[in-house]
Amino acid sequence: MQRAERTKLLIEVGRQEAMEMAKMICEQYEVIDIQEPRAGLVMVKMRESAKQSLFYIGEVLVTEAKVKVGDAFGLGIVREEEPVFARALAVIDAAYNGNFAPQEWATIFTNLSQRLEAEQQQTKRSIERTKVQFDTMQV
Amino acid sequence: MAYVAVRGGAEAIEASLEHLQYERVKHGVHIDTAALEATMRGFLDQVMSESSLYSERLASLAMKQSEGNSEEAVFLLRAHRSTLPRLYYSTVTDPREMFVLRRISSSFKDIPGGQILGASHDYLHRLLDFELVEETEADVLVKKCQFEQEDVPDSSDLQLERLPKVMDYLRAEGLLREFPVNDTEPSDVTKKAMAFPTNRSQRLQTLTRGQTGTVTSLGYAGLRGYGASHPNVGEVRVGWQPIHVAVQDDEDPYYIGAIKLTEVESFIPVNVDKEQQQVLEFDVGYGACFGQNETKAIAMSIVDHALETGGTTPIHDEEFVLLHVDIIESTGFISHLKMPHYVTFQTKLEQMRNIKKEGKS
Repeated sequence: MQRAERTKLLIEVGRQEAMEMAKMICEQYEVIDIQEPRAGLVMVKMRESAKQSLFYIGEVLVTEAKVKVGDAFGLGIVREEEPVFARALAVIDAAYNGNFAPQEWATIFTNLSQRLEAEQQQTKRSIERTKVQFDTMQV
Repeated sequence: MAYVAVRGGAEAIEASLEHLQYERVKHGVHIDTAALEATMRGFLDQVMSESSLYSERLASLAMKQSEGNSEEAVFLLRAHRSTLPRLYYSTVTDPREMFVLRRISSSFKDIPGGQILGASHDYLHRLLDFELVEETEADVLVKKCQFEQEDVPDSSDLQLERLPKVMDYLRAEGLLREFPVNDTEPSDVTKKAMAFPTNRSQRLQTLTRGQTGTVTSLGYAGLRGYGASHPNVGEVRVGWQPIHVAVQDDEDPYYIGAIKLTEVESFIPVNVDKEQQQVLEFDVGYGACFGQNETKAIAMSIVDHALETGGTTPIHDEEFVLLHVDIIESTGFISHLKMPHYVTFQTKLEQMRNIKKEGKS
């Protein structure tokens, strides 16, 4: 699984699971904090559609944490001030970078993927009610 | 006349600050920031956009601390932002990737994907709802449950991700001017002050963080005759925009969360020279901002186009527009008039007295 997909699932629907996965690693390995969770900014670079150029729309508050587990480094970044969550994401990232992520995590991510799909489907079903159904008036 | 240093205001200022604090608490009523974050969406979106800092939690804290004063809230957020390190730049984010919650076009009735109204104040009667005065937390939960139990379709094929753009259909017909993808690194007005003439990235960054009221007024002026023409809103879209950060390689970036954005494309008819003939095509005015703030984004699209095309009226003048839309710049300079100007005023007074005296003699 790509990192972009993994982090999306954990951040959008897998906070509790991320805490448990990180705890599992922390119990089995020594986790060294390279960067204690800290608040910072990510400047958002955006593509505008009129002339297809780039501009900065503004900054997003994030929390960043870096850890080392064995020889593997891990990075966690998440929007808003979320020090515990950011560190958990860093520990999970290290587990994947070091190739010691437990096999059973694949099942967790499958479940999270289904959960995200279900939540998005629920949103769509609700928003569909606001889709305009035009009827042409007979005059 | 030399400057004169005076003392004596410190204790009065201290007492003034105590009075200010008292104004916030004197009714003995408490509201926590979580409640503000949950219920003051419009205010938070506005101050996040104007402060150029996306964080609902900090915006709700700023709202509480400033007692709902938007210029103070933006000031607090801008000041806080300056204390934080900029850790990363996002990968290029494109609203084509947005998870759309609302998308409408006033140019075409039938658009692929449909007119999706989502949540909007547009269809409200603007009548005060006095029932809200008595609303309790239990009432809120009941309303929430009622909404969540509404009959909805069993499944939905509604496309909310990667929804096609309305402008793509005009492009396909050759009715929009084509521009190649431009990956030139944008300028950053928060790192380096603007010099005139500006480039497009400086203009868009300045407008998107501009004061909502000012940008709206300038857009309105453009419509009323101080600009080129009356645009049609091709598309307004509001939704969750995924943000990624690339650390090691662009191929597999980190997802850091989604932020709510409004994006607008306005269509403006222009005459273009093509093969020695005058041809009518559409230009696109562009607006985008943090949160759901459609009026600001539409106005921004009008001003963007005015600045791109140039002209003789004020909204075509980039110095006039870009140096006056920022809330901190404008409120700061206006507010400085409250600061002691004793010496300058005394000088003017003295001059007037002398002139008057000379006139009499």
